[in-house]
Amino acid sequence: MIYLSQLIDQKVWDAFGHVVGKIDDIMVNATEKSVPPLSALVLKGAPENKNLIDAQSIASLWPSVTLKTDISKLIPYTPKGHELLLKQRVLDQQIVDTEGKRLVRVNDLQIARKGDQFFLTGVDASFNGLLRRLGLENIGKSIARTFKKEAKTHVIPWEFVASIEHDDPLRLSVSQSRLVQMPPADIAAILDDLDSHTSKALLQGFPNEELADTLEQSSQEVQQAVLSHLHPERAADVLEEMDPDEAADILADMDDQVSERLLTLMEDDDAEEVRTLLGYPETSSGGIMTTEFAWVPYTYNVEQALAYLRSSEDALEDEFMYYVYLLDEQHQLKGVVSLRDLVTAPLDQPLSKWIDDDIAYVYPLTPQEEAAYLVAKYDLMALPVVEPETKRMIGIVTVDDALDTVLPTAWKKKLPRFSGK
Amino acid sequence: MKKQLKVPFWLRKFFLFFSLIGPGIITASADNDAPGIATYSISGARYGYGFLWIILLITVGEVLVQEMAARMGTVTGKGTADLIRERFGVRTSAFAMACLLIANTGTTLAQFAGVAAVGELFGISRYITVPLAGIIIGLVILRGNYKSVEKILLVLCLSAFSYVITVFVIKPDWGIILKDAITPTIKMEANYLIAVLAVIGTTITPWGIFYLQASVADKGTDVTDYKNTRADVVFGSVWGNIISAFIIITTAATLYPKGILVNSAEEAAMALIPLAGSFSSLLFSIGMLGASLLAVSVLPLSTTYAMCEAFGFERGLNRPVKDAPVFYSIFISIMLISMLFVLIPGIPLFQIMLISQSVNAILLPVILILVLILANDKNIMGKWVNTRLSNYLGYALTGIIFLATVALLVGEFLPAT
Repeated sequence: MIYLSQLIDQKVWDAFGHVVGKIDDIMVNATEKSVPPLSALVLKGAPENKNLIDAQSIASLWPSVTLKTDISKLIPYTPKGHELLLKQRVLDQQIVDTEGKRLVRVNDLQIARKGDQFFLTGVDASFNGLLRRLGLENIGKSIARTFKKEAKTHVIPWEFVASIEHDDPLRLSVSQSRLVQMPPADIAAILDDLDSHTSKALLQGFPNEELADTLEQSSQEVQQAVLSHLHPERAADVLEEMDPDEAADILADMDDQVSERLLTLMEDDDAEEVRTLLGYPETSSGGIMTTEFAWVPYTYNVEQALAYLRSSEDALEDEFMYYVYLLDEQHQLKGVVSLRDLVTAPLDQPLSKWIDDDIAYVYPLTPQEEAAYLVAKYDLMALPVVEPETKRMIGIVTVDDALDTVLPTAWKKKLPRFSGK
Repeated sequence: MKKQLKVPFWLRKFFLFFSLIGPGIITASADNDAPGIATYSISGARYGYGFLWIILLITVGEVLVQEMAARMGTVTGKGTADLIRERFGVRTSAFAMACLLIANTGTTLAQFAGVAAVGELFGISRYITVPLAGIIIGLVILRGNYKSVEKILLVLCLSAFSYVITVFVIKPDWGIILKDAITPTIKMEANYLIAVLAVIGTTITPWGIFYLQASVADKGTDVTDYKNTRADVVFGSVWGNIISAFIIITTAATLYPKGILVNSAEEAAMALIPLAGSFSSLLFSIGMLGASLLAVSVLPLSTTYAMCEAFGFERGLNRPVKDAPVFYSIFISIMLISMLFVLIPGIPLFQIMLISQSVNAILLPVILILVLILANDKNIMGKWVNTRLSNYLGYALTGIIFLATVALLVGEFLPAT
């Protein structure tokens, strides 16, 4: 294996043993996504138009860099605009390892030969790479040997690497398409480590739905920073994609004027739900409830209920649908059935079997500790929230939201680094 | 949704004020740490009010350096260590980080020595105070919610007020102070030069640059709001130096006229008792305890972040230990090593501090040059590169510190004949 650090400053020899110059940097073709081929060697100190040697004329890179041609017949290389300078733009920068799902620093770059061509194969982010750069690789190996361990060089294949330089649109879009594949919680964790400029640039290129999912998992700072930099129309679209209780949390942290503007830009029914949630204090059950839950008319039988759920928008939006609530025409709560019981019951069985006057519920203004207490006491996965005057059911408090209120804040809130935020 | 905090209105206003002030004030307050207080009180006792004008000059220098760091943090959103690695490569980073680690461990050690000294003034053994301080701070940082940690830091910043109160208890002659503060006087003697360098060295610090830039970057303020950040930095530096001036006034008003020379902050605190009453001495000690604790809360953590940034190790207090082993190892090592050194019986603390200060002094011009190159790089800073004035002043400052350091080191190793 050849590493970039071993090539920088190496002399380049022509076919007859004349020194052509010293390597300053190496160019690869950045449009090739998985294994980019080398396009040119950049020579040190040569004039601007004569410092690039076409990679096709390289005979070997290791143990010495030699060309196939004579110094007088060098093939110059004309940049086409899609090249990437490895030392200048990649080495020592931070990148996202989408396989290991973490942010790493590029300690070295691995180059391999295949047939007649050379390719950039991967990124070395290991401690070994660091030692190699410092010229201490052998010391590292002997220390590793005394501890009876092998010094590991972990190379991340180039196709699993997402560069995060926000001033290069081409590479940014490649990175975005790779990052979008990762679970939202992992993306959110990486964004927290990134500098704010880069995380903004990265997220703005995400599709609305992925952006909404990622923001739901992100820290408050990232949420605010990203949304405030989107065009208001788009910010409203992203908020629509989010769960109403999450959207309400975000809007509550914004300036009143800004949140009002975004609410008017959102679609009416989405905005309505969020407005209702915004009306409840954070410490109340209403503050942590979600308005999306599955329900069916209580007069149905099992077959009708299952058909109804399939076409019901409320059911589709229910995050995990553990329970199905039985409501009357006025949306008053009549009963509850777990999805499991519903699915395993005979199709012609009426839902009246599950009608119950004694269901545990809370009002929107019930303190959230009480909701958490009820969830724990009755081993519930979700607790209905009912409006006190009309007895209409307006939402549910799920077990995870209820738990959040009793866990210490330090466990659930991401800690920022060490300055004031 | 907003947390409903049940705090009195005036207190909320007060915290709001401090949340706006932010990183600048914490950095500047932590600059007046245990070695800082020692340097100021020794200089005040030895040279009187005549030393105050040096503080004026240093304020200019500190504003200059901290402004560059804050600007880099705002424009790039990255830490100093990040930029050094990306612009200068592995070798330069490794050198800078090795120096930073040694210097900051030494400085942390000095803070624990400060805690030990204050404890012993009250008759409490250092074997109680040092482990107690270390464990409490370590736990608060590792386990605590950052929001509360920050509040503790800001309260610790307030301990600096004790010097202001001390001065008003002593009631010095303000006319003379003002006159001396604006009259430049220079003494051409080695000890004076050492004192000036020591004061520069405790005020403009490599770790201060790293810490400020990282916290500004972390705040993620937009470049368009840079004016506010700059105001914070200028205010912080001025505030920190006013406190330094008050420490100098304390000993200059009491010890200097009697010709009492002191060699440490705790000697100064002891010497204050017969001259200014035990209340002043108590305030003086409280200020030193607060400053030491503040610096211990800030220094090891910012060093750890810088090292992990430069070398790309996983970092962050929000990560479990098994995901970020290097991060936690570095942090805990710095804390433990500096605590243990203070507790070794008969250890020559003074020499150890001298070595760490020398490393700091060697590192400072190197870091300043790297910062100046970075702040002038158009690829990094765009249109926010240094003005010509900051460059002139910056290189002049670097040159002065470099020459004085060389003179001092040569002087130390070749005893004057």
